[in-house]
Amino acid sequence: MRVRMFWILVLSFVAFSALIVRTGYIQLVNGGELTDKAEELWGRSIPAEPERGLILDRKGDILVGNKNAPTVYVIPAQIDDPKQAAEKLAAVLGEKESVLYERMTKRSSIERLSSKGRHLSAETARAVTDLQLKGVWVGEDSIRNYVLKDRLAHIIGFTGADNQGLAGIEAYYDKKLSGTLGSIQMYTDAKGNQMPGLANDYEAPVNGMDLQLTIDADIQAVMERELDQAEKTYKPDAAMSIAMDPNTGAILAMSSRPSYDPARFNEYDPDIYNRNLPVWSTFEPGSTFKIITLAAALEEKEVDLDQEHFFDPGHVEVNGTRLRCWKREGHGHQTFLEVVENSCNPGFVELGSRLGEKKLFTYIRKFGFGEKTGIDLYGEGSGILFTEQSAGPVEAATAAFGQGVAVTPIQQVAAVSAAVNGGILYEPFVAKSWTNPVTGKTEAVHKPKKVRQVISEETSKEVRRALESVVAKGTGRNAFVDGYRVGGKTGTAQKAKDGRYLENNHIVSFIGTAPANDPKVVIYTAIDNPKGTVQFGGTVAAPIVGKMMEDILPLLHVPKQMNQIEKEKTWNDPDLVSVPNLIGLSKEKLKEQLINIDIVIEGTGNTVASQSPKQGVKVERGSKVRVFLK
Amino acid sequence: MIICSRFDYRVWKQYSRQALILAFVLLIAVLIPGVGMIRNGSQSWIGVGSLSFQPSEWMKMALVFYLAAALSERKKTIHLFWKGLFLPIVVIGAAFGLIMLQPDLGTAAVMGGTALILLFSAGAPIHFFVTIGASAITGLVLLILSAPYRMKRITAYLDPWSDPLGSGFQIIQSLYAVGPGGLFGHGYGESRQKYYYLPEPQTDFIFAIWSEETGFIGAVWIILLFFLLIWRGVYIAMRLDDPFGMLLVFGLTGMICLQSFINLGVVTGLLPVTGVTLPFLSYGGSSLTMTLALAGIVLSASRHMR
Repeated sequence: MRVRMFWILVLSFVAFSALIVRTGYIQLVNGGELTDKAEELWGRSIPAEPERGLILDRKGDILVGNKNAPTVYVIPAQIDDPKQAAEKLAAVLGEKESVLYERMTKRSSIERLSSKGRHLSAETARAVTDLQLKGVWVGEDSIRNYVLKDRLAHIIGFTGADNQGLAGIEAYYDKKLSGTLGSIQMYTDAKGNQMPGLANDYEAPVNGMDLQLTIDADIQAVMERELDQAEKTYKPDAAMSIAMDPNTGAILAMSSRPSYDPARFNEYDPDIYNRNLPVWSTFEPGSTFKIITLAAALEEKEVDLDQEHFFDPGHVEVNGTRLRCWKREGHGHQTFLEVVENSCNPGFVELGSRLGEKKLFTYIRKFGFGEKTGIDLYGEGSGILFTEQSAGPVEAATAAFGQGVAVTPIQQVAAVSAAVNGGILYEPFVAKSWTNPVTGKTEAVHKPKKVRQVISEETSKEVRRALESVVAKGTGRNAFVDGYRVGGKTGTAQKAKDGRYLENNHIVSFIGTAPANDPKVVIYTAIDNPKGTVQFGGTVAAPIVGKMMEDILPLLHVPKQMNQIEKEKTWNDPDLVSVPNLIGLSKEKLKEQLINIDIVIEGTGNTVASQSPKQGVKVERGSKVRVFLK
Repeated sequence: MIICSRFDYRVWKQYSRQALILAFVLLIAVLIPGVGMIRNGSQSWIGVGSLSFQPSEWMKMALVFYLAAALSERKKTIHLFWKGLFLPIVVIGAAFGLIMLQPDLGTAAVMGGTALILLFSAGAPIHFFVTIGASAITGLVLLILSAPYRMKRITAYLDPWSDPLGSGFQIIQSLYAVGPGGLFGHGYGESRQKYYYLPEPQTDFIFAIWSEETGFIGAVWIILLFFLLIWRGVYIAMRLDDPFGMLLVFGLTGMICLQSFINLGVVTGLLPVTGVTLPFLSYGGSSLTMTLALAGIVLSASRHMR
């Protein structure tokens, strides 16, 4: 009997040892996992939304901020009388009672209200709090404040109902901007009442990083003003513009019309907010593309702009195909510099054939055409080029003056920047730096990214001279700005639809840079199908870029220079005279100066103390100059 | 406990048959509708209002008295079936069957297990246990087939997370209590699961709350205490000369051992859920009274140790 009892004792020892092992396994090995699951069970967490990172311009002005917009949460288990609670809350929120009742009676630990219960104004939020309803909580939340409204909208983009980036920078850098969700953790018993002895945890949300853009709000304002004006004047189908620092690839301003208000994006046609035209649209560049042919021909030393001459009869024959110059009767006898100034098509066909189709297309690709520039914006197009096999002499000839290839505006800006900045192709970018909103420390700065050296500094210098000459003496004359050495090239491209060119429907463009001796900015503007005007880039787009240059260059602290190529007068150009120095002259002597200008005398005295405009400023013949006598 | 410890344990031998008959009467009475009360799906309570108790608790003890008496008398004929084991087995079977009618699988298991321990230690032949084991498995299968809720408990035991709000609920909630306890626990009175999450936190699942509050250290301490109790019980039993005393003490100890093992096994998810209280610790009048009485009897027997 005792022996058997002993065996049972042994058996029970084994059994109880098993219990200890099991308990140890649960508590020590499995404990963490079980604790997490259990805390999930006890916890009712009210999310604390992180503040989305600010978007600033390159000087630190806020372009996109945040507005407080609290959100209502309900914890169904804590609500004693859902019918009454729903009724009261419905009255304050303006939401349907049945909708609220349904949420309040849902078998769920916590419910976040949508539509009318989300993103409340401060007053509504206070009204909800004042109701003092059990189980109804107001959680911190915020929405975007797009201070620029429809300005820069395509670059900035917008966020959706959950503050998630959906377009533009907001989408491209959503992760860094959005931060990490925090929460207020309440521990409750199974009936939803607060559990004694367990403090509520507050896990602070980690706010998103502040993003500083390369965009300059002031430059942007100038650009938008000019495009507003252009839209008013020409009622175009679309308009787009880019201003870039050619020495880094930093985008200073970018605009796409028609635009939209990011705060109300859903009221617009998706095509409007989805298409950021300066990077999306792909079309025949027209004559602006001649800059590429010119740069290639200069780099290969196929042409001497001043010494070589070319005769344009108005057309040129390539492999039996007759290609015409835009000027019917032709430009006649000209130097190659004049070929560039006149934007003479047969002249560029000549340059193209000197290079040969292979070399020409190699340069076109080296300048970045046919592939995305890599700008940090979604929806970029890559353009369409002939494949190396299909490119024959005719294709090379048309490409030489900008037809038969399709490119994006941003590609042109990057390529022309490379042509004028000393030959380096840069990757365009919009995000300049990231700053931690708490420490204020800048944590990441975008470094300009060189893609490749395309042409030499020598060649680039020649290109700049030719472009300045185009503005001073050629087709770009309307972009001329007195004192600033603007260089540039016009472009007029027929729009094609279903494989055929449209009649009287052009995209007119101008790409310019200044100052020609040391380019600080490249500005591109294209107007799609302007109405009530001759559809020429020189007529429509060049003056727009000219006006932009005039106001943007001072913002970039570019001083005026005296040694620019003088503008050649044409019959419709106003006759300009330089204002002489009048200060210090006596009243009598003033009269001798009255040849070209109309002097308005103010004040009493005998000697001129000040004058407006100042000496050297060019004014139209017969303009008024005010002098103050003392 | 003190009262019981003052009585000579041998009186239980004289009254064991009366105690058994009373237990049977009560067990039958509890099954009569209107007399027995249904709690948690089992008709196992008798009495009025809060003054109620479980006859099965009484039966557990009475059976030990009876078996200790009967087996000690049949010491010489234990190896024979008809003269030796037949009557005890009929009694065990009847008591088991009545409790299963309530139904109360946990108590029945504890009682049946205790009976087997007694038969084993009294010297019943091994082939007998083989037969019992085979028929027990058959019986278990039949029992499970007859009541679907038992099957659910088995599946819940194998994978509690397959039905977290239904059959797996108690195990999961129990594990949620034990697991977060860690090495040292949340501290005395700091349990979270006892706030309505875990059903029966003061009775069947007291150990879950205990290990939540005191951690692994506290849990091991309790388990060791139970083992110490068992060890002492067996020690007392072995030191007695009287076969009745030996079997009585051993049977009572075995009962506490089995019951605590089943309870702890359930709480830690080692065994399928059966409603068994933890001796000494669970809240509940009849269970605690009985356990203390048992301890008293063991103590009284201990006075007669060699």
